Amino acid sequence: MPKLDFDIITLGHGSGGILTNKLLEAGVFDLLSNPLLDTHHDGALLNLTGRVAFTTDSYVISPVFFPGGNIGELAVNGTVNDLAMCGAIPKYLSLGFILEEGLTMAEFWDILVSIKGASERAGVQIVTGDTKVVERGKGDKIFINTSGIGELHPRADISIKNVRAGDKVIVSGNIATHGMAIMSVREGLEFETTLTSDTAPLNHAVLALLDEFGNDIHLLRDPTRGGVATVLNEIARDRNVGATRLGIDLKQAAIPVLDEVAGACELLGLDPLYVANEGVFLAIVAPEAADAFVRKLRTLDYGHSAAIIGEVVTEHPGQVVLTSRIGGRRVVNMLVGEQLPRIC
Amino acid sequence: QGIAALHKTMTFHLHLTGQVQGVGFRPFVWQLARSMKLKGSVSNGADGVHIYVNADLETARVLARRVQAEAPTLARIQSVGITEADPIDFSDFTIVESQASGLASLLLTPDLALCDACRAEMDDPANRRFGYAFTTCTHCGPRYSILHQLPYDRPATTMAPFGMCADCEQEYHDPSNRRFYSQTNSCPNCPVELSLFLGSGRLLSQDQSEIIRQSIDALTAGKTVAVKGIGGFLLLCDATNADAIHQLRERKHRPSKPLAVLYPSVNQLRQDCDLADDELALLTSSAAPIILLNNRVTPLSGLAVDQLAPGLNQLGVLLPYAPLLALLADAFGKPLVATSGNSSGSPICYTNEQALAQLPAVADLLLAHNRDIVVPQDDSVMRLSPTYRQPIVLRRSRGLAPTFMPTGFTHPNVNVLALGASLKSTFAWQLRGNTYVSQYLGDLESYDTQTNFRATLDHFLALFDATPDAVLADRHEGYFSTQLAHELAAIWRVPLVSIQHHEAHLAAVLAENELLGQVEPVLGIIWDGTGYGTDGQIWGGEFITYEDGDFQRIGHFDYFDALLGDKMPREPRLSALSLAFDIPSADELLRPKFTEKEWNLYTKVGVRNKLKTSSVGRLFDGVAALLGLADTVSYEGEAALLLENCATRYVRTNGYTIAQSYLPETLSTNRISTKTILAGVVRDILAGYPIDRIAAAFHYTLVQVVAAVAQRTGVRQLAFSGGVFQNGLLVDWLRHELEPAHQLYFHQQLSPNDECISFGQIAHYSLSTTN
Ligand SMILES: [Fe+3]
Ligand SMILES: [Mg+2]
Ligand SMILES: [Zn+2]
Ligand SMILES: [Zn+2]
Repeated sequence: MPKLDFDIITLGHGSGGILTNKLLEAGVFDLLSNPLLDTHHDGALLNLTGRVAFTTDSYVISPVFFPGGNIGELAVNGTVNDLAMCGAIPKYLSLGFILEEGLTMAEFWDILVSIKGASERAGVQIVTGDTKVVERGKGDKIFINTSGIGELHPRADISIKNVRAGDKVIVSGNIATHGMAIMSVREGLEFETTLTSDTAPLNHAVLALLDEFGNDIHLLRDPTRGGVATVLNEIARDRNVGATRLGIDLKQAAIPVLDEVAGACELLGLDPLYVANEGVFLAIVAPEAADAFVRKLRTLDYGHSAAIIGEVVTEHPGQVVLTSRIGGRRVVNMLVGEQLPRIC
Repeated sequence: QGIAALHKTMTFHLHLTGQVQGVGFRPFVWQLARSMKLKGSVSNGADGVHIYVNADLETARVLARRVQAEAPTLARIQSVGITEADPIDFSDFTIVESQASGLASLLLTPDLALCDACRAEMDDPANRRFGYAFTTCTHCGPRYSILHQLPYDRPATTMAPFGMCADCEQEYHDPSNRRFYSQTNSCPNCPVELSLFLGSGRLLSQDQSEIIRQSIDALTAGKTVAVKGIGGFLLLCDATNADAIHQLRERKHRPSKPLAVLYPSVNQLRQDCDLADDELALLTSSAAPIILLNNRVTPLSGLAVDQLAPGLNQLGVLLPYAPLLALLADAFGKPLVATSGNSSGSPICYTNEQALAQLPAVADLLLAHNRDIVVPQDDSVMRLSPTYRQPIVLRRSRGLAPTFMPTGFTHPNVNVLALGASLKSTFAWQLRGNTYVSQYLGDLESYDTQTNFRATLDHFLALFDATPDAVLADRHEGYFSTQLAHELAAIWRVPLVSIQHHEAHLAAVLAENELLGQVEPVLGIIWDGTGYGTDGQIWGGEFITYEDGDFQRIGHFDYFDALLGDKMPREPRLSALSLAFDIPSADELLRPKFTEKEWNLYTKVGVRNKLKTSSVGRLFDGVAALLGLADTVSYEGEAALLLENCATRYVRTNGYTIAQSYLPETLSTNRISTKTILAGVVRDILAGYPIDRIAAAFHYTLVQVVAAVAQRTGVRQLAFSGGVFQNGLLVDWLRHELEPAHQLYFHQQLSPNDECISFGQIAHYSLSTTN
């Protein structure tokens, strides 16, 4: 961390004046330095060819620092992953901060360092950004917005329209880990083993899979908020529009969940299918390619627990149905508002 | 009308509605008309039975009167209309084949248990139906379960593919025969055929005696045999063989939920259970439900009681209601476990294909036949309260559903469909003046149950060719039934009306007791496990008054934390924690129920919890857990059953004499302090009082709660609904304490549990449409 004559973020740091300059010059620009950012223009001029994917996401997470990461790398990985889910090669990110007065410079620096590390791991450049400061009590330490641009992988043809009956549903890794890690600190719940978030950039793995499997990959999604259940419900619902209505079958026994995560969920009466993920993606893949897809994914970073967890079916259109370990079939619903108990 | 008109011979048309088909009605009319020397015809229509006679008006009236007075026992006549018809000159009185006249508006006859006459024939070596597994007559046999469409006639049932042999044909046309116009008639010469399969699907035999022999061998060897009954496949195993039962429980993933026992005969049943006359009457009724009986501590048959109903003093028993079950039970000669053929949580298997696909996981042999089932149904379950002998329906299905005749409730101008709740799902129709409440359709959390719910509903829609003017649903938006209601209302372009759960409970019990239209106010005591409240909380311990068509929640049990979603009902210890957490002395009772980790977590979760409940179901859970009866349960209501069991034991020796209530006798508010009740329970446990006594004192406390709120409100009429009132001891204790100063009303034909919600929604809705 560079030597600065302040150690707390104040309103002045967002004023655009000298303090802002100090903060950026001393810290951010140096740390995240790259030729495009170094021009210090109002905007970045980018060289892109072909079809381009563009996405944005805002990150508000409490706590800001959690086991296995912090909001900084989450903000990079999240947007990188969103691009990857489009079948794009992530290239450039924008970075917007909304800081709450009182955030310590030390905390901010840690976050910046994480951002730098994450962008290096993902192979993206941060090319433009913005910083604002809000009064104490009007934020939650730090909010981050990132937008990202990527070039479409030449073999990618990711679209819900490509999903068809018989396709396999594949998950790239253990589910619910991130959400339970966050919950363990946020709720002050001490589980026996400390769970750490699995936030990670998924673009390298996804691009390698696109190289090999191309348009056999029909759909990619990262099941963040709302978990696997919500994303699969969205897919079943959206794939419902049009001529062939489709549903999704899941096999509980096939869904990878770390033992300690499953234990923590059971303890709290939570269904891991609804718990948020980072560093995990869902792929819907043509049946003939599915086994090879999983084999390959297991050799890639963050993919060693990949598994086929279900199948797209013509039965129960619009619905996701889970076959339990003991053979019962349960509808995995979209959550309706807060989770209400149902049993009478 | 002059005398002359009265005596002029004309043609009259008598139109009878109600449960008039499949009960030997046309043969009865034929006999009666012949005995009166009348000429004319009788036929079935989709809208009832039609009689045409050449008679004068007075004679036609006599005929109508006698038809009503002398109708077959199983018939239930709702109305008889007499009109003058275009003149036809009849030469005779005949039964005419069915006509699809009119809109379907008929009560559906439920399946009828094997009658004594048919049973006697089956047991008689000289009879041509000796040992025949599908013996039926106009008084017995499947009806609703085999019906494709109305009116009820052989071609409209799954008997259609079976032709009758000459002998059967002769019976069918012989007016003096019990099988005159019997639509389910068959015999060993024109039989429904049995097939025995291995789990692998390999056909073992189609020869009846061989099949019975192999099945009995398998049962004797401790194996499980799946048998196709009336409403679906039943799983049978030796009820005296603990290992066999254990294996069945393992395979069915059903660790402790009681299993019903099929007895070959009443005499054998008496060796194991106390059987009162009223219970015998129910067991041998045409509905032939499972009845909960007090079982002997040491049953003479060697029944493995501890495996059948762990921790309980009562056993569900039934008698063979289908000939095939009678043959098997007789041949085996000992009690058999008889439980629905499904894996835990799924609906009962009812087609041969389904059974071959699913049941090998639980059964070693499959005994199927080729008479298809159209409508799957579980066995109905009933009990009688211990002292006042009040019948309580625990599950309304085969033999009882779907016909429902609430005496005081008619709502002829509105056609509505109500989709009920979720865990004990049913749907109900108000259609063309009739009310139908479907059989128990199970827990809608299961996908297969949802599918079955829809299929049963579609079957109804097709039977009656109807769409409703409105669709009714619970206020809980997460219920499948509510979502389906939205979907259907949109398709039919009719309004969707949401009705609060506990108001629906109350409306149901009011309607069943002809109280909807009367002036005097009623206090509803609606206690159950869960219902979505208008304040977004989970209700379940409610006091709701009904006056002038208005419902008002005037009191409830104090809210406590609803912890950890659906985990709470599965773990009564969580109810104990939620209820007793801030009673300091409860610590030593609560702590051992949790690991260190759980304790740390749950005590924190409670603090941040926003969802509250007033559920008496959870109150039972909490008390049962504190008493050490159940920390976790494997079936719904288990903890409450165990608690009732303990209290019943106390009352059996001591009578309703306990003086101790955990609440003061008079209350200053209609908010019931769950905390005070729990504090009393905890104090008594720590003081070392016997569990049975504390359980009884808890029941008495609830009785006192009702008394106190009734006194505060000054209402004389009390109506009870909600799953808590499946508790026979509580029902009796309420009557013991509150009658005759108060008039108590309970459900009659319906169950107090959520099976009554669909009808309650209709009853509730009727108020807004008639006012
Ligand atoms: Fe209820
Ligand atoms: Mg995102
Ligand atoms: Zn009979
Ligand atoms: Zn025959």
